[in-house]
Amino acid sequence: MKTQWRDHDWQLLHGAPCSPALHMALDEAITDEVAAGRRAPTLRVWEWAASAVVIGRFQSLRNEVDPDGAQRHAIEVVRRVTGGGAMFIEPGNTITYSLSAPASLVEGMSFEQSYAFMDAWVLDALRTLGIEAWYQPLNDIASRSGKIAGAAQMRRGKAVLHHVTMAYDIDATKMLEVLRIGREKLSDKATQSAVKRVDPLRSQTGLPREAVIARMVETFRAQHGLHEDQLRADELARAQDLLQDKFATREWTALVP
Amino acid sequence: MHRHGEYKMPGGKLTVVDLQIVDGRLVDVVVSGDFFLEPDDALAAIHAAVEGQPAELDESRLAQLIEHATPAHTRMYGVDAQAIARALRRAIDAGRPA
Repeated sequence: MKTQWRDHDWQLLHGAPCSPALHMALDEAITDEVAAGRRAPTLRVWEWAASAVVIGRFQSLRNEVDPDGAQRHAIEVVRRVTGGGAMFIEPGNTITYSLSAPASLVEGMSFEQSYAFMDAWVLDALRTLGIEAWYQPLNDIASRSGKIAGAAQMRRGKAVLHHVTMAYDIDATKMLEVLRIGREKLSDKATQSAVKRVDPLRSQTGLPREAVIARMVETFRAQHGLHEDQLRADELARAQDLLQDKFATREWTALVP
Repeated sequence: MHRHGEYKMPGGKLTVVDLQIVDGRLVDVVVSGDFFLEPDDALAAIHAAVEGQPAELDESRLAQLIEHATPAHTRMYGVDAQAIARALRRAIDAGRPA
């Protein structure tokens, strides 16, 4: 049966900074807990302990990442469980969040509909900060001056994982040293340079990152309800197992070589 | 020789193919990209479907092989069998050394 946002008792997780690989593992562990009915639907706000390149589930490691650039800048390369494109992350430069929800929330929706549905509250939050943003299919949040965020979604059993990385600020020079940007991809975009494709929130809001996050959380709470929560010890233990057995392994990161 | 092809479906995502041609057949085929595919092991099924196939297969035949190899409940977003087939053909035809 299709459910609505308010049918669920939403929980907020916003803990201490984690390593990139642990974030990947937490997404899987938490979403599986929601699928099993052991955890209420959860909004998790990420804090990054290290710089990272996060590649999509189906991306080729060598086609996306410049290994010398990544090493030179001490950047951890991880693969996430969802599809989509590579992201360059520096702590403090991105706002990342995950929604782990029962699949009933997006039941009957197309991919396109469910992406826009899961992030409608974010567009509202941005509007209160003076940013007119919209959903640009397939999986981007955009404004007139450029892309703001990219989303990725997957169904896992009875749950759906939807996570989003928003550009708060960006070191475009460093990004281009670390990511190989495909020529084919750029040819399709209205803008010519990879740098111009992303317009970060800092320049658009003039607000500290924490203030943007606070407004987003406030907006979610007002629209859907939200309670402060903590990660349980067994959930963290499960995520650490996943980190060790999967997300921190070369086999997983190079799964698509 | 290593060959590389890319195709971006209009309004979709990028599909990339890396492969080799040995004795006229496709070998070490890797399909990748920033598309979405559920379940995720559908990618392995796609690889298995085209590995070892003759390099002269045309786009529509490759697309058929991919269609048949993916389970009925497979959901693709930003990519389809035709787009993967086109990237495969581009890799076979253009084949730039890696």
